[in-house]
Amino acid sequence: MIPWDKLHGAMTHFPIALLLFSTACDFVSVAFKKLTFARGLRLVSFYGLAAAALASLGAVVSGIALTKGDMWGRGDFGWHHRFVWPAFSLLVALAVWRLVVRDAMSRTGLCLYLILMLLASGFVAAAGYFGGELLLSGGSVP
Amino acid sequence: MTPLEIKGAVAGVITSVFILVATFTAGGIYRNHIERETESGNRPLDAAHLAARGRSFFFQSCAHCHGQDADGGEDGPSLLKLQISGAHMALVIQSGIKDEMPSFAKKYNAQDTAAIVAYLKTLH
Repeated sequence: MIPWDKLHGAMTHFPIALLLFSTACDFVSVAFKKLTFARGLRLVSFYGLAAAALASLGAVVSGIALTKGDMWGRGDFGWHHRFVWPAFSLLVALAVWRLVVRDAMSRTGLCLYLILMLLASGFVAAAGYFGGELLLSGGSVP
Repeated sequence: MTPLEIKGAVAGVITSVFILVATFTAGGIYRNHIERETESGNRPLDAAHLAARGRSFFFQSCAHCHGQDADGGEDGPSLLKLQISGAHMALVIQSGIKDEMPSFAKKYNAQDTAAIVAYLKTLH
C-alpha cells in the first residue's frame, strides 16, 4: 500500500520552496541594476518556476489520493483547498506564460507577472499553513 | 503588453483551466469509484460488521484517552460530535497529532482505519 500521507508531505515542499525562491529571485533581479547578475537570477527564477509547476502536479496527485478524491472539505481541510486550487492554477499559468515569453517582457508585463507571482506565493504559503495545521493540530472545524 | 505576452497569457490561462478541469474531473471519478466500492463492499450487514470491528479497535487503542463512551477522557477530547469527513478522521488516525496523539499507521492498516471511522460515525 502506498503511504500517500508521507508522499504528499514530502512532495508539497518542493513546489512551495521553489515558487517562493523563484519569486524572491525575480524581485531581487528587478532590484539589481547589474545586467548579467539580474539575467542570471531571471534564468534561475524561470527554471525554479518550471520545476515548481512540475512538482505541483505530484503534490496535487498525491493529495487527491490521500483525501480519496475529496477536493473541498470543511474547516482547515476546506481552507487548505481554498488556497491550493488558486495557487495551483496560477502556478501553471505563470509557468506557461514564462515559457512562452522568456525574457522578452515589457514593463507592464513584468509588473503584472511580479504581482501574480506574489499572489501565487501568498496562496501557496496559506495552503501550506493550513496543510500543516491539519497534520500538527488535527485540523479545526468551523 | 506585447503580442508575445498576450499569446503567452492566453496559452497560460488555457493550460491552467485545462489542467484544473482535468484534475477535478479525475478527482470526481476517483471519489465516485471509492464510494461505489464502499457501497458494494459494505451492504447494511457489512456496515454493521465494519463498525463492530472498529468498536473493538476503538476499545483497544482509543478508549483509554477518549473514554469508554468516546465522550472524552483525561487525555483526549470527546469524539461524539466530530464534524469532519471520514477521510479527515482516517488522516488523523493514520498521521496522529503532534505532541497530542500518536500515529496509528503502523498498528492499523487502511481497512482497520476505515472500521474505526465507521464506528466513530455511528456515534454521531
